[in-house]
Amino acid sequence: MPFNSYKDIIEEGDLVLAYINRNHIKPIRVTKDEILNTRYGCFEHNEMIGMSYGEQMGGSRGYGYIYLLAFTPELWTVSLPHRTQIVYTHDSSYIIQRLNIVSGSRVIEAGTGSGSFSHAFSRTVGLEGKLFSYEFHEPRFIEAKAEFEDHGLDKNTLITHRDVCKDGFELHDIPQPFVKDSGIAADAIFLDLPSPWEAIPHLKAVASSTRRVGICCFSPCMEQVVKTVTALNENGWVDVEMVEVAGRRWEARKEMLKDVNDVIKRLKDIQARRNQGLELLKQSRASTPGEKREASNPESGEANPVKVQNTGMGFNPFGRGLRIKEGDEKFEWRDVTGIEPDIKTHTSYLTFAYLQPPPSARVSL
Amino acid sequence: MKNTSIITPNQHALIRLPSEGMKVVELKPDQIINLGKFGSFKVNEILGYSYGQAFEILDDYMVRPIKSLMEDQVQPMENESTQEEEGQFTRKDIATILSESSENNQFIIDVGSQIQKLSSDDIDKLKNSGVSSDVGQQIIDKIIEGHAGFDKKTLFSQQKYLKRKQAKFFRRFSVDYLGGSQLLEYFLEKDNQRVFDMTTESLGLLFSYANVKPGGKYLLIDETGGVILYALMERMNGEGSIVSIHENEHPNHILLRNSDYTDEMIDRMVKPINWLQFVETNAEKINWKDEPEDVIENMKATRKAQYYRQKKRAQDINHVIDLVSEGNFDAFISVSKLHMPSVLPYILPKVGGSRPIAIYSEYKERLLETQHFLSVDRRILAPSIYESKVRHYQTIPGRMHPVMSSRGLDGYVLTGTRVYPKQEGITAVGRGISKKRRAQDETEKS
Ligand SMILES: C[S@@+](CC[C@H](N)C(=O)[O-])C[C@H]1O[C@@H](n2cnc3c(N)ncnc32)[C@H](O)[C@@H]1O
Repeated sequence: MPFNSYKDIIEEGDLVLAYINRNHIKPIRVTKDEILNTRYGCFEHNEMIGMSYGEQMGGSRGYGYIYLLAFTPELWTVSLPHRTQIVYTHDSSYIIQRLNIVSGSRVIEAGTGSGSFSHAFSRTVGLEGKLFSYEFHEPRFIEAKAEFEDHGLDKNTLITHRDVCKDGFELHDIPQPFVKDSGIAADAIFLDLPSPWEAIPHLKAVASSTRRVGICCFSPCMEQVVKTVTALNENGWVDVEMVEVAGRRWEARKEMLKDVNDVIKRLKDIQARRNQGLELLKQSRASTPGEKREASNPESGEANPVKVQNTGMGFNPFGRGLRIKEGDEKFEWRDVTGIEPDIKTHTSYLTFAYLQPPPSARVSL
Repeated sequence: MKNTSIITPNQHALIRLPSEGMKVVELKPDQIINLGKFGSFKVNEILGYSYGQAFEILDDYMVRPIKSLMEDQVQPMENESTQEEEGQFTRKDIATILSESSENNQFIIDVGSQIQKLSSDDIDKLKNSGVSSDVGQQIIDKIIEGHAGFDKKTLFSQQKYLKRKQAKFFRRFSVDYLGGSQLLEYFLEKDNQRVFDMTTESLGLLFSYANVKPGGKYLLIDETGGVILYALMERMNGEGSIVSIHENEHPNHILLRNSDYTDEMIDRMVKPINWLQFVETNAEKINWKDEPEDVIENMKATRKAQYYRQKKRAQDINHVIDLVSEGNFDAFISVSKLHMPSVLPYILPKVGGSRPIAIYSEYKERLLETQHFLSVDRRILAPSIYESKVRHYQTIPGRMHPVMSSRGLDGYVLTGTRVYPKQEGITAVGRGISKKRRAQDETEKS
């Protein structure tokens, strides 16, 4: 059961995420005599068996490598086959935290879609908790159901083929381990479908009647939010608030430190060399490119070997015309953060609200 | 086990006030809780309702349950005419009032307090007029009625004005379950430095990327005094263990008292260890020898108690040292001011294969140098710095817009996966690889 337990050694039949690079993570089922063929090398499953999770594995033809990673919902979210739009970790992590979803929580989710959020829910609620997931698109439902069984989610997740806007959430033949208070009795609800306002009136029947129940409706358009808020208000939900999560990923980079005095020095150097004529120029061309040369700094008299390179182009403090690796020790660098090239400026609006048991349900303690 | 659904005696709870203020209280039966200008109430009055319930304070420390703390703000505006004659305010619904706002402040004439036709004497009279629980709303209605220039205010100033008045005159409060998120929210408001300015969204990121689940064995540095520890225990719901590293001789988890977890549960889940014990496991292990039975029998009561205390301490320390020596932690989670490039060399060998690390800091620069450190180290795959920021909206149909101001600071989470890079024999695919591939193919052909 990959999502609810930890494992150290890879066995036949395990689900492994083959990490090629950040944008290529391939889920595989370790199977005898199979080979993972990628542009980045070929990897024999037989060799994986007995290796540790987290190990780096070289390609069987002497080139390429992968890392063998264990499943986590967060890695799955960036590697899963998309059947629909999906919920990413910036949103799902906030929703889980804000709705206080913990081990033991009972959660409703509709629709299942690609199951991205389902995996995070299932992991978080654990075996004490339950996830009730609904999907009305039949092929998608069938795929998700098979996938949940394959990934061991079925231990705490019940997926139902249902149009929740038309037919609501109530289930009549819930397997015993999933029943509470003779029904679903959800603590938290997540709606990611085009018209949540049509599903909202059906929720009272499945929300826990003995505690405050939280909801999050996930909609990309403001018009949807307005209808959702109205439906929530009309159906007795309180403390309605809509928010947006802006998520960013930052990269640690190094930026070369360029001192203007070096720029001036280089200009002087060019000038001097022009004046000195071709003879000298030829001489310096003859020496090996990339070779470091000690040179004294005319201003301070200090030696500054880092910036002085005899590249055949005289004083070349910033490595102009050379292929320089970020962080090359011959140069001076500053640590900076860069942002990922494409950022998601909008995923969806998140509308939160709560359903409070009626005051008449007060218990005497 | 504590109750997470019902307002229960002797548990801690979070009180929310119309001013957006918060208060953490322990609900001792028969006691009176004083909310300052919002009034006072008797604890027994609220026991037995569900957490989240809002109340209005009546006289004699009594309360009555109401729909929500800011009820009037969330009423739908449908079927209500928005056409009003200028200057006449009879509406009770604040949402509607907001929809009347002028687009600019062209017509506002600043005549100071004269605008407000209601004198403070009038307000006091209303306040003392007694039993009506609606007194706060009445006062606000009156003020708005008396405020000739109200509709001339811009949306922003109206919103601010009403908020201010509501906060002042509503004698309302709600009682929330005090979970880890709420405790964090409380400190973010009251003492933000204590929790390193951490927001709910950062805490969510931290725990999701750390892949927290029940039954895990986690390595934690929590320098907030226990807020993170509490939230982590809550996620784990009593299953699994947390080795918590601290920098003083003894741990400081003082805020855990807000959790209402039993000592037994805290003892079972939380294994504190100081840095010296963590690093010098062998030297710090306590060599404990039981006294013979008859010696114990003959001890004086106080000496005996002391003996058992010492024995438990030794067992606890040795146990946590064993956990650390064994390593293979399921995640490393840090909310700390320590310099991570100095911390990680001790931590990384203890993190299990393919398990995540998740490090929080309110300063990106701190994580930047950590990420550079990790890139060179190579034991953490794809270290990345994530940032989440939640933007809140005024959520009234017809008047949806982001709130006008929010906190400037937000935090960052560095995460990555513990791996075992090969020392040699790895050729990356890239420049030069085609040559190698060709050579290989040629050998295969021949
Ligand atoms: C955007 S996807 C959900 C993605 C999912 N949250 C994830 O993270 O992968 C929306 C899904 O809702 C399903 N859906 C739409 N309306 C529905 C309804 N009335 N009842 C059940 N499912 C519905 C769609 O078929 C689609 O698969």
